[in-house]
Amino acid sequence: MSLIEIPVGPQHPALHEPIMLRVKADGERVVDVQVVTGYNHRGAEKLGERNTWSKNVFLYSRVCGICNTVHAQTYTQGVEAIGNVEVPPRAQYLRTLIMELERIHSHMLISAVMAEIVGFDSLFMLIMRDREPVMMLKELVTGNRVLSDYYTLGGVRRDVDEVKKDKILKVLESVEGRMKYYKKVFEEDFTLSRRLGGVGVVRHDEAVRYSLVGPTLRGSGVKSDVRADDPYAAYGEIPFNVITYDGGDSLSRMLVRFDETLESIEMVRYILNHLPQGPIAPKTPIRIIPAGEAFSRVEAPRGELFYHIVSKGGDKPYRVKVRTPSFHNIINGVIAYREANIADVPVILASVDPCISCTERVLVIDERSGKARSLRLKDLSRGLLDGS
Amino acid sequence: MSSVLDFLKSSGLNQLGSKQPRRYVFEVSAERLREVVGGLAKFKNIYVSSISGVDYVSEGFIEINYCLWVVDERFMVITKVRVPRDSPKVPTIYDLIPGALNSELEAYDLLGVVFEGNEKLRRGFLTPSEVASQGLFPLRKDFKV
Repeated sequence: MSLIEIPVGPQHPALHEPIMLRVKADGERVVDVQVVTGYNHRGAEKLGERNTWSKNVFLYSRVCGICNTVHAQTYTQGVEAIGNVEVPPRAQYLRTLIMELERIHSHMLISAVMAEIVGFDSLFMLIMRDREPVMMLKELVTGNRVLSDYYTLGGVRRDVDEVKKDKILKVLESVEGRMKYYKKVFEEDFTLSRRLGGVGVVRHDEAVRYSLVGPTLRGSGVKSDVRADDPYAAYGEIPFNVITYDGGDSLSRMLVRFDETLESIEMVRYILNHLPQGPIAPKTPIRIIPAGEAFSRVEAPRGELFYHIVSKGGDKPYRVKVRTPSFHNIINGVIAYREANIADVPVILASVDPCISCTERVLVIDERSGKARSLRLKDLSRGLLDGS
Repeated sequence: MSSVLDFLKSSGLNQLGSKQPRRYVFEVSAERLREVVGGLAKFKNIYVSSISGVDYVSEGFIEINYCLWVVDERFMVITKVRVPRDSPKVPTIYDLIPGALNSELEAYDLLGVVFEGNEKLRRGFLTPSEVASQGLFPLRKDFKV
């Protein structure tokens, strides 16, 4: 048996974080996948030990561009738990609002990327067009389209008034209609169902044992969502359904995201209609936190986000451990590639919604001749290994 | 009373307090770690949320926090293992719960905790080669940046 090793990655200009998948293949069939990491470790944990508590809100917002408010939430709620800081109810609702808006645009993004990877470029453009108004809503609420810096210890930095509320509700009405339509496309389109259905199957018991999280876990039928199981911010007061699909394949993982987006739109409506009155931040900034530790969990768009924060008292943390959902889903998620075709590798990788920038450049090495040549992700996903 | 908590309490472990709801913190010795995690792994639907190491340099030990989420019963079990800084060794749990692999690789590469029995441990998992080749562990408190 002559195996070919195909390094997928490690650079991709469109997504973040470079990573490489070292795929061993027998013909078209994947035999083994090894994940090669370490291209861009930025040392945010070490840096956090030198920053003050309040400066770190900005640092940890920058761990991820797409889900920056959930990182700020996980960090601030951990610090607030150590310091016994009361967050006003209105701020809790506003935090929940911005996290759900973020989930909507994040799920739309990966749906668009998935459409592009399977070669459905027009669908990619349509979803990205419809995602843009949600980004503008994020700007409307926080003042910035991507990196929002909306959080402060004990509250948030901006309020929502009636004008903003009406604008958000109006935009979400059109987004809801579009997302229902795109869900139908993913369910019924022949090409999409053939490219995603039955591809990269992870069984229920394996998904838990391999510590997969988020839509990847719920796509295997495991009902686990931090928002429902371990409520934070205002989630304990907002009605919503935890979405699961039993298929365990790439299509199930995508459909979980579509249903979650529709749930999030309902949640935003509920939040805006039940927004409590009152202050949105403490009157005096919080600078000193007593000794203690917190294990902070948040449901990011990609799954459970975990921070372990240790304080020895004073104005700086002693240790901040950050564990992102993609760290589990990409590295432990290699079980999904068993028996897959090479052309399915990008589909499976995208189906766990990886926060990386890996798969555009592909180098194919023929072990017998030792010759190497490059391929683009698109060609790989279309099965054009011979470069035709 | 939940069956997972019953198991932990009947194991004679020292329980520590936690200010947060749904967090149960226990102290475990390195010798008993595999027995405790092996017992937990027999329950359905428990996953490793994180393995978080903290270097207590002036106290002379490294504390490893195994954070496991119990899906059905909705709480987190945290087992704390303390090992001396000059010889930080714990047995691996990756064969008991395969989802612990990435967290063990990370804790070894950044903090220098050796998970005995895990043959996949390697330097350079996250650190650049110039750090790994000098045998430095960036998250140790005596590593200056």
